[in-house]
Amino acid sequence: MNADDLLTQSPTAEAVAAHTRQLPEPDPKAQQALREALESSTRTPVAAEWPTLLQEARGKMDSRHAEPATSHRPGVGPVLVAVKRAFRFTFQPFINEMLRRQVEFNESILDALATVIENQREHARTQAQWRRDVEARLARLEPGPKGRGATKR
Amino acid sequence: MPPVKTRPEAAGTNGPRHIHQFVARLAWGDAVGNQVRYLQSLLRSWGHVSEIYAEQWDDSCREQVRPARDYPREASRDSVLIVHHSFESRMVPMIARSPGRKLLVYHNVTPARLFEGFERKVAIACDAARAELLAMREHMDAAFAYSRFSAEELAAAGYRHVAVLPFAIDWSCFDTPPDATLQAELDDGCANILFVGRAVPSKRMDDVLRVFTAYQRLYQPRSRLLIAGALNRDSPYGAFLLGLKDLLGPERVHFLGRVSAAQLSACFSVATAYLSMSRHEGFGVPLLEAMYRGVPVVAHAAAAVPETMAGAGIATLSRDPMEVAQLLAVLERSAPLRTQVIDAQRARVAAFSQDLVAEQVREALSACFEGRMPALPAPPEPARVELICPGYSLRPDAPMSRLTRALASRVPGARVLALRPRTLAPRAAPGPEHIDGPPVWHFTADQPVGLPAEPLPGSSAMETAARASSAPHVYLGVDTEVAATLLPLASAPAWGARSATEARAEGDASQRLGARLFELAPDSLDATVEALLQSLSSRGGPLHERG
Repeated sequence: MNADDLLTQSPTAEAVAAHTRQLPEPDPKAQQALREALESSTRTPVAAEWPTLLQEARGKMDSRHAEPATSHRPGVGPVLVAVKRAFRFTFQPFINEMLRRQVEFNESILDALATVIENQREHARTQAQWRRDVEARLARLEPGPKGRGATKR
Repeated sequence: MPPVKTRPEAAGTNGPRHIHQFVARLAWGDAVGNQVRYLQSLLRSWGHVSEIYAEQWDDSCREQVRPARDYPREASRDSVLIVHHSFESRMVPMIARSPGRKLLVYHNVTPARLFEGFERKVAIACDAARAELLAMREHMDAAFAYSRFSAEELAAAGYRHVAVLPFAIDWSCFDTPPDATLQAELDDGCANILFVGRAVPSKRMDDVLRVFTAYQRLYQPRSRLLIAGALNRDSPYGAFLLGLKDLLGPERVHFLGRVSAAQLSACFSVATAYLSMSRHEGFGVPLLEAMYRGVPVVAHAAAAVPETMAGAGIATLSRDPMEVAQLLAVLERSAPLRTQVIDAQRARVAAFSQDLVAEQVREALSACFEGRMPALPAPPEPARVELICPGYSLRPDAPMSRLTRALASRVPGARVLALRPRTLAPRAAPGPEHIDGPPVWHFTADQPVGLPAEPLPGSSAMETAARASSAPHVYLGVDTEVAATLLPLASAPAWGARSATEARAEGDASQRLGARLFELAPDSLDATVEALLQSLSSRGGPLHERG
């Protein structure tokens, strides 16, 4: 341990560093195995995007606002559209209040689903890592061209 | 029978002063909640009327709290409200319309980047909490923090009358007798390494696991790791931790979950060392708790941790598990060293004696309660352009630092925002330092600065200073943590430069800056300066001369 990397006054950083240098040198093989295990355990942060599966639901999460007003009726159509727009404009604050709890529920349930999906991803990542680790150990044990104990067949 | 809650009389000009506190959530057992309760008892002992107002609370705290929505109605012009800020509260409008004086106590907010990849919602809330910190500025008469590290961010946000408040700790809480069953179970000759805290990504319990694995494999096979604190096994970080435990394969790792005071005492009573690898602490109460209980502390020196430890215990700038494991090993093997560490820790804890701290808190707050605020000098002129170059002082010969120097000499009214060298302690009031020409404002990095090859860490204080400024930003290096944080958040127009020799900052920075992103080739510093100046002087740019 380098004294420059320590912040301590009593004992001094130099004294602590000196003590660490007096520790018995661990077995190089154990050190190497540990270093490999530690390196393989590092996890690069994944992008904070929403799971693709939930993107569509997320787009529909806010149920307070309806699709743009339209009408298929000829002639009276524009009048109906104008009436629909006026109705929505007038009553939107009440609609917002009525649907507020629904929107909050949608948000919560989507968050819960996202957590479940991310949790599963994390398990899958760990299992993949675990499998690679086991395969590497097996390769070292098994006799064959890749193993350490390779023998003639 | 629960005590009957009565509405506090509206404060008048006569009689005891009404000094209330607001906290977004009053929780049992967390550092902020404990601090709020302790301050309430202090305020009441000084003869004030004091209630706690909160938006949410734990069931166990129901009798201690009043709903925050009642505060504007129950307060008067003579009331004082102490606002505790550590997370998003969505209560800034309530605070704004409340009568009376207001003081902010800032516990610090964990940087959102520490939750990335694990807790999307929490990361968003952390960013929102920093936006609230800026929004509350105009409503606060004074602001306090529990460390210079946090005070620096308050000053960076533009708060006036910023001061550091001593942290009041009720040490008697730590004198609970240990749970005899758990103590007997753990006291079996194994070296016990302890960490106390919730399993959240910022606490880096994964690094605690790595250090412990190294310690067990290389130095002490008969060792045990005790982790006391809530662990949500269904969260992505919880799943990651449990998977990591299986991958690394250390033996005797105990996730104890939330423990009672007696169980916690049992853990401390058998602990060989307390290990914290947390990347962010606004103060770090468990470090002092371990010191009080005579357990040597080894901690990663991030955020306010070096300030809290103040040379006691062993704070390390290294994150290498094999190096930190060496510290655990020497503390276990060398009795004189261990004694020396424990003695220094006891001396540190003595500085937080309750009477002393209570008097210091009273001195710090009384002037604000009485409205006797000292006159302050006029604030410096706002910058015309913010040159954001984190490595300016740390790596002065780097291409981006040279580009910043060249640009600063050509842009009047520019100020340089840079990281403070790691040998210098945080300053409660950052100000301009003239180094080789342009005024440089230094801010403390959230994590220790690593080797020259490693990327520079972010700085919450610097990011807050940039967000508080309405001047255009020029990012000298768009692949830094600071730029990655600010680019999506800052509302000010932005320009940027990236080094051609480094990996291209594809994606976010390129998309956000478009034609305002310039490339710095090794031999074309002057050309890049000219191109940037031309862009800054063009129509819509901060240097454009109208008329």
